Amino acid sequence: MGSPENGSKKMWDELVRMVNEQFDTPQFRRLLSISFSRERAQQYSIQMAYYVKNRRDCWGYVQGAAPLDVKRLIWNHEQDELIGNKSEGKDDHITLAVKEGAVLGLGAEAFDTTPVLDGGMTCFYSWLHIAQRPWLEAIASSAILEMRNSSELIQEGSLSKRIGEIVARDLGIPLKKQINNAEHVVMDVEHARMLYQVAQKHATTEAARKAILRGAKESLMIDRVYRGHLAEMLETLP
Amino acid sequence: MKHAEELLDGKVGGFMSIVNELTATLDKMVNDQFESPEFKHLLSVPLTLERGRFYVVQSALYTSNRRDCWGYVQGSAPLEVKRVIWQHESDELVNDPRANMDHYTLTVKQGEVVGLKPEDFEKAELPPMVRACFYAWHHIAIRNHWLTAYASSHMLERRNNGKIVKGGGMSYRMGKKFENELGINLKKMISLDVHVVADMDHSENISEIFHRYVKTPEDRDLVLKGAEECMAIDRAYRGALGYYMERIE
Repeated sequence: MGSPENGSKKMWDELVRMVNEQFDTPQFRRLLSISFSRERAQQYSIQMAYYVKNRRDCWGYVQGAAPLDVKRLIWNHEQDELIGNKSEGKDDHITLAVKEGAVLGLGAEAFDTTPVLDGGMTCFYSWLHIAQRPWLEAIASSAILEMRNSSELIQEGSLSKRIGEIVARDLGIPLKKQINNAEHVVMDVEHARMLYQVAQKHATTEAARKAILRGAKESLMIDRVYRGHLAEMLETLP
Repeated sequence: MKHAEELLDGKVGGFMSIVNELTATLDKMVNDQFESPEFKHLLSVPLTLERGRFYVVQSALYTSNRRDCWGYVQGSAPLEVKRVIWQHESDELVNDPRANMDHYTLTVKQGEVVGLKPEDFEKAELPPMVRACFYAWHHIAIRNHWLTAYASSHMLERRNNGKIVKGGGMSYRMGKKFENELGINLKKMISLDVHVVADMDHSENISEIFHRYVKTPEDRDLVLKGAEECMAIDRAYRGALGYYMERIE
């Protein structure tokens, strides 16, 4: 039987393998092979704002169930997302999504009036369901999505980076002007480390590590379904 | 003419009237709480040092339960309300500038005055009746409409707001009890003392949300459901504390 340290390292390596493998799935390949017209980019941007809101719902539930020291980590994490950092001139992430929409020619009202995708709603409820499971599963299910968006962990670039590059290639909008994508390319590197920090302190048993892997695995499954729905939507647009 | 404009704005007989009636009802509920047998009993149990220690340790566990519930409420609330809760949790979870520490640390620090050590808090167990109350609060926070969940967590701070509760909120009354019966000045009971003020601010900031989100009788009923159920659990909780404290020699 290995030591807890070895167990944590093995678990972390497995999580990193899982998030990298995500990009080789049919759903991710399909989404990342689509050319982005302006209208497609606009609709993608709106649906991602709904995704960001769902993340805030899920992190709230995770915070509720987690031990006090982990609640504090999540509270700090949510500052960037919910409030922004005024001293650094950074907006919260919903405001960023709306501002990025303006670069794509969207008015703020489009984010209020465009309905959430049916498949998106379904996936959001699934993520909410996992977020209310025992806390280690719950935190893994939310944190794994940020690991999947960490350019430090994903060999050929995170999802935000890859989408940002497609928009730059197809619409000529450089990544630095896609302020929401650009922010996530940076922030999710930092946020992705949180699970490692939590696991080192709290995942000291095989059962705890299995709970983390279970939450991560199911979340990545929903993530694949969600990305598949996004691809489906984009393909129906001109 | 002005009256007509107010009617159109909903200020007369409209949603403002609903909110004003609602807040008056909530105020009555938190005041009535102190007339209940459970509250009267708890506040009449003579304090000994051991009983005081029990109360302080249980307060830390109560504070942790509050953090759970506010997290759950944050999960289901609209974005704007999430932000209000996040700010609220800044004092509670991270740092309250009134005390230069978070509220859990504050409670542990307060324990020193009655001879408690940090490990007394770490090894503390939830007595069965208290555990049942905490799970019941979790249930409201997780399994209800956000207005119900929000009202439930809010009511415990409203019940601690000395501007609303005649004779002082719970923290103030318990602080005075420590002062009168154990000779420990309220200022030395730093957690109770901070909550005398903090929960005035918190309950007022949080109460503003009702003015923005309660527009219909259905909204009002969701708030009332959370408030009524929370106050029932609060009575059970205070009754439990009284029961356990009385059994400590």
